[in-house]
Parts: sequence; structure tokens; C-alpha cells
Amino acid sequence: MVGRHRLFVRRRDGRVEVRLNEMGRAVAREAFGHVVAAERDPEHEWHPGLNPPIDPSNDQDDPLATLNRQNEIATNAELAVMTLNEEFLNDAEAWAWLSTLQLALRSTAIANGLLSDEKLASCDEELLQFVHTLQQYLFELAECF
Amino acid sequence: MGAVKPMRRTTTDTDVLTEEAVETQRPWNVVVWNDPVTPMSVVVVIFKKIFGYSNNKATHLMMTVHHEGRAIVWSGLRERAESYCVKLQVAGLQSTIEQEQ
Repeated sequence: MVGRHRLFVRRRDGRVEVRLNEMGRAVAREAFGHVVAAERDPEHEWHPGLNPPIDPSNDQDDPLATLNRQNEIATNAELAVMTLNEEFLNDAEAWAWLSTLQLALRSTAIANGLLSDEKLASCDEELLQFVHTLQQYLFELAECF
Repeated sequence: MGAVKPMRRTTTDTDVLTEEAVETQRPWNVVVWNDPVTPMSVVVVIFKKIFGYSNNKATHLMMTVHHEGRAIVWSGLRERAESYCVKLQVAGLQSTIEQEQ
């Protein structure tokens, strides 16, 4: 799935080249799809990860701020889904990928209680592989910014 | 001679207004919290993108989050703090706001 070559490369014309193969894109598709679904569905296990408190000293956050967050997350995630099969991404699309992959990573961690190094080290192999794959995508995509 | 009992001054509207003004003027902090899964370089990229910070400043703040568990990444008016907090959350970082003590 993840070869030795770089997965994302910033080209001279400013675009980000996506060098993921089909399996690699399938992982991204799964991550992006879950973020889109979780934003719409309060019952989705990733939903709490997408809706943390803004001001914990208040019982309820400003509805306008939470609506803005919801809209921006949905916009990024939908743009990421729409560009899943693209070979090249512009800046806005690359940022949408980075934001959505990072949301997927953090939501996975929250949903599975991976909130310490010890918990992360002791989680099951399939989950750990998913987390490591997302981390590698993020690490390499961050190099393009 | 008996001790003079200090008079308790009644709170006036002016006092209330002054306290409200002080309360309003205290800046709001945007706090980013550590988590065990986010790659360090991603945090740096997000700080640079959202706040326009230099690489050095963004890296310093990321290291503060990493070592101390949290860092104040911006301070100022509540509305802007809330807006920055939302942008950080949209980018997948754990962020909250709090008023300076």
C-alpha cells in the first residue's frame, strides 16, 4: 500500500502530486467518507471527535461558532472526497486533504480511547495499522506546505 | 475611644460598569492541547497556515504543546479567539478558549 517513494510531492508549478496507489486511495476514501458521515450523523462513533467544546467554562457553545465549524468541516471533507482520484491537487484541495485526514486521525483516537502512548501501543493490529497509515499520509503531506 | 468601624460602601452602578469593563478587557486565550497521535510537523503546518506564524514560532509553540501538554497560541478579543479556535478544530487539533485570569 505504501511504497518507499514519497506519497505526496510539491511540484514546481505549485500543485501537489498524489502518488497513492489504489489501495492507498482506498484508505483515504474510507477516512474521508467517515468524516462526511460523522458530521451528518450524531450517532456516528466519530461524531464526538468532530464536535469538541470551544469554551469548556460554558454549558453550551455559541451556536453560530458550532455552525461555522460544521460547515467548514463538511466543505473540506466533501472537497477531499471529490478530489480522491485526482493526480494533482491545488493548495485548497491539499489543505482539505490535510485537515480531513487529521480530523479522521483524531476522531479515530477519541472513538477508540487512544489518548495516551500506552493505549496506542496496546491497541489491536488492524487499528494500529490504520492510525500509522493516516500518520504517514499526514507527515508526508505536511512536507508539501 | 472606640475603634471607627469602616463603612461598607454600597455598590453603585458605576462600580458594576467598571467591573464589567475590566472583565471584558481581560484577553481570551486560544489553547491547543497535546494528543498522542498527531504528527508534530502537522501541528507546525496548521499554526503557520491559520496564524501566519514563522516556522520558528510555530515550532516553538508545537514543542510547548508537546512538553507541557498545552500552549496558548493566541490571545485577544473573544470573538477572534473563538474564530481561531474553530479554525484549529476544523483542522483537527484539540483547541479551546479561556479568559485570562
